[in-house]
Amino acid sequence: MTTAMNIIQGHSPALIVVTFLLFSYLMPVLDSWKKNWCATLAIAAHVLALFFTGILAWQVFTTGTVTYHMGNWPPPWGIEFVIDYLAIFMLTTITVVSLLILIFATKDLGHELKAQVSSWYYTLYLLLVGAMIGLAITNDFFNMFVFMEIAAISACGIIAIKEDKECVEASFKYLILSAVGTGCVLLSVAMLYMVTGHLNFTFAAEALVPALELYPNNILVALALFSAGFIVKAALFPLHVWLPDAHSSAPSPSSAILSGLVIKIYAYAYLKLLLKVFPGDIFSMVPIYDMILILASLSIFFGSLFAIVQEDIKRMLAFSSIAQIGYVFLGIGLANQAGLTGGILHIFNHALMKAMLFLSAGAIIYCTGIRNIDQLKGIGAKMPLVMGVFAVGAMSMVGIPTTNGFISKLYLALGTLDAGKPFYLGVILVSSFLNVIYYFPIVINAFFGEPGEEPENDIPVKKLPLEMSIPLVILAAGILFFGIFPRHMLILVERAVAIF
Amino acid sequence: MTDIALKLFDNMYYLVSMVLFIIGFHTMLTHSNLIKKVIGMNVMDTAVFLFFVSTGYVAGGVAPIIEPGVEQTYINPLPTALILTGIVVAVSVTAFALALIVKLYHHYGTIDAEEIMRIRSTE
Amino acid sequence: MERTTSILPVFAALFPMVMTFAIYYVQKESPKLRNNLSVLTSIITFISVAAMYPIIAEGKIIVFELFEVLPDMGVVGTFRVDVLSFCLALVASFVWMLATIFSVDYMSHEHAQNRYYPTLIFTLGACIGIFVVGDLFSFFIFFELMSVISYVLVVHEESVEALKAGYKYIVMTIIGGLSLLLGVINTYEISGSVSLDQIGLITEPSGLALATFIAFLIGFGMKAGMFPLHVWLPDAHPVAPAPASALLSGVMLKTGAYGLIRVFYNVFTPEFLQETGWITIVTVLAVITILLGSAVALTQYDLKRRLAYSSIGQMGYILLGLSLFTHTALVGAVFHIFSHAFMKGCLFLCAGAIIVKTGQRDIRELSGIGLKMPVTMIAFTTAALAMIGIPPLNGFLSKWNLALGSLEAGAPVFVIVLLISSLLNGLYYLPIIISAFFGTEAQEKKFTFDEVPFKMLMPITILALLCLVFGVSPINLPFNLSKMVADMLLGGGI
Repeated sequence: MTTAMNIIQGHSPALIVVTFLLFSYLMPVLDSWKKNWCATLAIAAHVLALFFTGILAWQVFTTGTVTYHMGNWPPPWGIEFVIDYLAIFMLTTITVVSLLILIFATKDLGHELKAQVSSWYYTLYLLLVGAMIGLAITNDFFNMFVFMEIAAISACGIIAIKEDKECVEASFKYLILSAVGTGCVLLSVAMLYMVTGHLNFTFAAEALVPALELYPNNILVALALFSAGFIVKAALFPLHVWLPDAHSSAPSPSSAILSGLVIKIYAYAYLKLLLKVFPGDIFSMVPIYDMILILASLSIFFGSLFAIVQEDIKRMLAFSSIAQIGYVFLGIGLANQAGLTGGILHIFNHALMKAMLFLSAGAIIYCTGIRNIDQLKGIGAKMPLVMGVFAVGAMSMVGIPTTNGFISKLYLALGTLDAGKPFYLGVILVSSFLNVIYYFPIVINAFFGEPGEEPENDIPVKKLPLEMSIPLVILAAGILFFGIFPRHMLILVERAVAIF
Repeated sequence: MTDIALKLFDNMYYLVSMVLFIIGFHTMLTHSNLIKKVIGMNVMDTAVFLFFVSTGYVAGGVAPIIEPGVEQTYINPLPTALILTGIVVAVSVTAFALALIVKLYHHYGTIDAEEIMRIRSTE
Repeated sequence: MERTTSILPVFAALFPMVMTFAIYYVQKESPKLRNNLSVLTSIITFISVAAMYPIIAEGKIIVFELFEVLPDMGVVGTFRVDVLSFCLALVASFVWMLATIFSVDYMSHEHAQNRYYPTLIFTLGACIGIFVVGDLFSFFIFFELMSVISYVLVVHEESVEALKAGYKYIVMTIIGGLSLLLGVINTYEISGSVSLDQIGLITEPSGLALATFIAFLIGFGMKAGMFPLHVWLPDAHPVAPAPASALLSGVMLKTGAYGLIRVFYNVFTPEFLQETGWITIVTVLAVITILLGSAVALTQYDLKRRLAYSSIGQMGYILLGLSLFTHTALVGAVFHIFSHAFMKGCLFLCAGAIIVKTGQRDIRELSGIGLKMPVTMIAFTTAALAMIGIPPLNGFLSKWNLALGSLEAGAPVFVIVLLISSLLNGLYYLPIIISAFFGTEAQEKKFTFDEVPFKMLMPITILALLCLVFGVSPINLPFNLSKMVADMLLGGGI
């Protein structure tokens, strides 16, 4: 028993990834044997992962950073996993949010997908989550590339699985642009490997300091390719073109996880590499932070602007994601304590908010079949729970106090002033106002709109199953909880920021 | 002039891989034929692989199969090994992309991106 | 000043918020229980605020630290009640209590009461919270909560008109809120503290300091209906149900005024604002607000709209009194916060009673109403006369002090402004009264007594009586409190 515990404790970084991969490949096997076990097992995989995350968190909080060497090969040769506070933050965010989305999916999928592919959906879903977890904890360039590709293929998979025209087309577009992104990243990795001879982040970072003197152009090109690759993946303006189609046409749980987590994991990886691997001197050679700030502001501004004119609720949410990822990059670009805290915290906060908003949009579509914003008039009376949590999400998006969106915006705002760039404070405030323009009318129409006489308002409303309402309520409660008691999350994030 | 030419010749692999990368990138983004986009993607991937593998090449080196007692220069095997994985990944992405193209053809009856856009806008 | 600790402020702010959920759940069982519970909550809140009086009267300040919300950000989650906070909380909870009692019968013929009562009580908690917290962050949080939640009260009727007004309200509120946030963040950036327990957080003139001042002015001015940010007010106040209008005009406008007091006296200092001359902006805007509010009210024939414009004018008095920085003017301004809450609360409730009985909102149709509803109209008359500033009433006392304060400040021009606006007040209030009692229909009609129920009359009567009592009584609690406030703020006794 104790040996089993030791194995679990010692190997939990690998086990957490292996769990997802293993369960993922079990799904097609189970499909032909016990079909109704798939959903339960997928949830079981998440619970196991949560357990390992808990162990890792406990280890990090008691003994500091945990490192794990794959196959016991020490770092310069073998693949290394590093779990620090930042990784713990990401792991918790991913496992908790994806578990909630999965619980929602178990009911929603039957309505959106053909019956014979639903177990394949779990395969792809678990692969995606496993790849994200791998991305969060890996400390190796090539390993990162492999996880990025796994994540890209499975992400395209959970879009295209719906098999209607829009989904397949969106998925193809995503696949091509994502291939461009990973291509750029791989080329950049090759260039870094050329000058450093290392694939491990830590060793590469050490070797890059002297290498910058010798081969500055090489490293600059690598940085440029690298930034371009991750910006495509994270859908920052102007490389966001794939996102609105992909996130709006996909099944609702897919949209939730894509908008809530997948784009964030690339922002996280970019942040980690930018601050930990590239030598500090490079930032005096190119104004990369200023470029990020400008792109982030454009992203915030145009994302909100496009969102205002959308008629489809999921498309609107997708454009809003572009704006919100801008906040995360804004935090990266500010590169000071408060700004980074705000940016990283927004990864978590926005994961909760956007997952919840997409799921509630999914619940509306499930119950009524309505996607058009104009037809949502008076829906609040029929579906008070769904529109209630939607209202909470909308308020959090705007940054009303007592919701978690306020806390991250507050820290970002402090960061802009600390950095002496009050212009970006204006960007934050203006974008909050733009959020009001596209979120509040939906809520207002839903609750206070005159129920019109048009026949489509009389469509029957299906009852929302418990499996779909529970994740919504938990996410909404989380938004309010972390808005009122942000203390512990902030402490975690501030420790995470301290490593930079 | 000859200097530069010589230098370029020395780094021919890098030069060629960059040219290939740009060709692939250009094909991928400008052609409206979806199959050509996938071909462009493959060319781009190949360029990256060539680049990566050539970073491990040592002039005059041989494959690192160690014979006891023979003193030889070996090439760096690590990039080669990595690129093996990279090729597998590229193949699977290609397969997936082609499968999606088949689906698109079923839905729209064409594999031209502009044509598909036109059909979508008229719907 | 001496500090002491007490749980009362926390209780007063959080108790209504907690009770909101109770009210929400009992309403499924019985509407009567819901109504009684709402009234009870508002009464308990008022009592718990009033219970702070002995401590405040001794000149102590109540400080209570709840918990640290944001680490490394200084004090957050602190409660702090000085005499100014106490005044505002007292008047807010008192008027709220009466409005809640009034609601029981007024709302009985309205739809969606299950939404109305929880919102009303929650807003009470947020409003008290604004007054009793001890730092700008908590202040901002409660301010936003109150502003956003009271949207539900504004659009209660759900008519197209109400929705339009509500949209204007929410957009302006968010703009104001963001501007306020900007001010708070700037303050934190400049001084490293947002505590209201200090004086003069910003004492160095700089671009950022000016931006902070403007941001606060926009944020609070929006709420207080200051020109040119008043545009939402005449639309939003009349469309709400009468008790909600009474609270919006009588109480919630004052949160803006309270915020400005804190900005002028805590964040900045009077000396600093006078030296830099920034305060002139406020003075000029206040004068425009007074004249504009009173003048536009004349052109309105909807009773509640006329009252709403009158509120804008009255808020101008308060802003003017605040911006003069003399003792007497400050006493006048703070006393006018009391007076206006009673007067305007009374007037809006009377308007509500009239609408219930006659369904009439047009002033020209109210002829002879005084014979039908004598008690309501006598109360209306009292409050309206106080509004004009007729001597024995409380409105006179505040205007008198404001006028004396302007003279003290060496600016007799403001006395003329006050006189003109009083004249305008007379012009738009007196015709209503005259036609109600002596209109053409009054001569034809017999005396037909048809009053609203007791639960509606009682709040109206109490408010009208208070207008009279606080004008003539030698033991004048609000006036004494106003003096204490002025002593504290100008004496630097924070």
